[in-house]
Amino acid sequence: MLANDLLKQFFPDGFDVKTTDSIVFGAGQINSQEIAIIGTCGHALIGAKEILALGDKFLEIIKSKPGCPILMLVDNNGQRMALEEELLGLPQYIGHLISIQDFARRNGHKVISVVYGNAVAGGFIAFGMGAQSRIYATDGASPSVMNLPAISRVTKLPLEKLEELGKTVPVFAPGCENFYKMGGLLGIWKDKLHERLQEALDKYGEDDNRAEIALERGGRTEAFNIINEVINA
Amino acid sequence: MKLKIGKSYYEATARQRIACILDNGTFKEILPPQEKKISPHLEMFNIPVAFDDGVVVGEGQIDGKPVSILAQEGKFMGGAFGEVHSAKITGLLKRSLRTKPAAVVCLWDSGGVRLQEANAGEIGVTEIIRSIFDLRAVNIPVIGVVGGSCGCFGGAGIISACCDVLLCSEEARIGVSGPEVIETTMGVDAFDSRDKALVWRTTGGKNRYLFGFVKTLVENTPDAFRAEIIKEMKEPCGLALEQIEQKHAALKKRLEDFSGLGDALEIWAKMGFEKPEEIPGMSEKELAEEFKRVSGGIIC
Repeated sequence: MLANDLLKQFFPDGFDVKTTDSIVFGAGQINSQEIAIIGTCGHALIGAKEILALGDKFLEIIKSKPGCPILMLVDNNGQRMALEEELLGLPQYIGHLISIQDFARRNGHKVISVVYGNAVAGGFIAFGMGAQSRIYATDGASPSVMNLPAISRVTKLPLEKLEELGKTVPVFAPGCENFYKMGGLLGIWKDKLHERLQEALDKYGEDDNRAEIALERGGRTEAFNIINEVINA
Repeated sequence: MKLKIGKSYYEATARQRIACILDNGTFKEILPPQEKKISPHLEMFNIPVAFDDGVVVGEGQIDGKPVSILAQEGKFMGGAFGEVHSAKITGLLKRSLRTKPAAVVCLWDSGGVRLQEANAGEIGVTEIIRSIFDLRAVNIPVIGVVGGSCGCFGGAGIISACCDVLLCSEEARIGVSGPEVIETTMGVDAFDSRDKALVWRTTGGKNRYLFGFVKTLVENTPDAFRAEIIKEMKEPCGLALEQIEQKHAALKKRLEDFSGLGDALEIWAKMGFEKPEEIPGMSEKELAEEFKRVSGGIIC
């Protein structure tokens, strides 16, 4: 269950959400504007079933509330790792959900995502990163691609070395600060969430400027320049 | 001049694949190895770098028409997405928005995000996805090809599903979580990654084709891929709400029809194939004919 406390901080003027399994859906009021809420809770695993449920909610909003801003509240432990999911073609389900988020954004919905719990690997790509350069996190959230012990197992690099390096460079280790430096989070919200959300809506833009932000923050020093070198070659 | 690489697309390098897919002598590489665009992150792990960071991007012609083309080199770091690797691809896709080629051809061959650059790779993957949808929104076809030794897993599998057309050979494997990852995380009972036939039935090109994820199953030769790419250099399928809803309904039906089945053989049987065990042995053409006869199209 998505903590009422968190929703109260986002929507002091009121909100109404319903939680079904790990899917949260509803709406909140901020400065008398309606914001649609689509989220997951309980460190959801993102499989075909969850993707279809989330997709249903997006389509409902697209059709019934044109232009209504959409707040995605992100908490997942990644894609569901299972033979059955892979048999049915999980990449296609994820690609489909991203295409729906993309459609909403291109058709007048401000799409903002806020990671308030975990956001892991394919789960983060499926639900969260679809907001592209308008992704935020609340303080204490845990975005990651893979935890360090697992990276150590796969890469055969010693865990101690990864832990040591992870303290000085933001490029591979989990955590909000690292994703912030790499341009994967536009901001980390510590308090007054309703004000932060209002600001994010006010300065909302559609361009994907994450590589540029990452250069300014010193996280990705090459990406922005290389993108432009290729464009201008 | 075409490079002599024998007949296997699977065995060819990224540059050989590009040379064979494009019209002879038309390739112009952007940021070639001489420019030494290397990963700034691998040195701290004492891992050798590649001067192209494992991906070749550029422009050329296919059937006399201008195209943008990229090819991942699976032999370097498993074709994985790092910062520079991803930026070269995103740059090519953004450039294509301006140059408006007849098609953008993407020869994917990647195990996913490069874990030494995990955060850069994952964000890079989503920048690529955004750029793909930018191209599709202005009706520039983005043609994905999978037929290399790394297949398309993790972020690469998701990217492949964002192209508007996907072509693959039966050797291609596509997924999110690779068999080894599932086995390591969930246990050998969940997925025995040493059972190669099981791995192949689950993630291989034929299963992806029978679900309509892959449009055409292509023989494992560069010439065959080139011929199919030429056929797809046309108005793309589009991303209107109606099409998105159709796909949503089809994916929902797929889950309803096939959930709970633990093996592709059971799925193929339920699709209507009388002898699913014969599918692995069929040629691309035989399977296409059999598929047409049996299903009339579960495709979405």
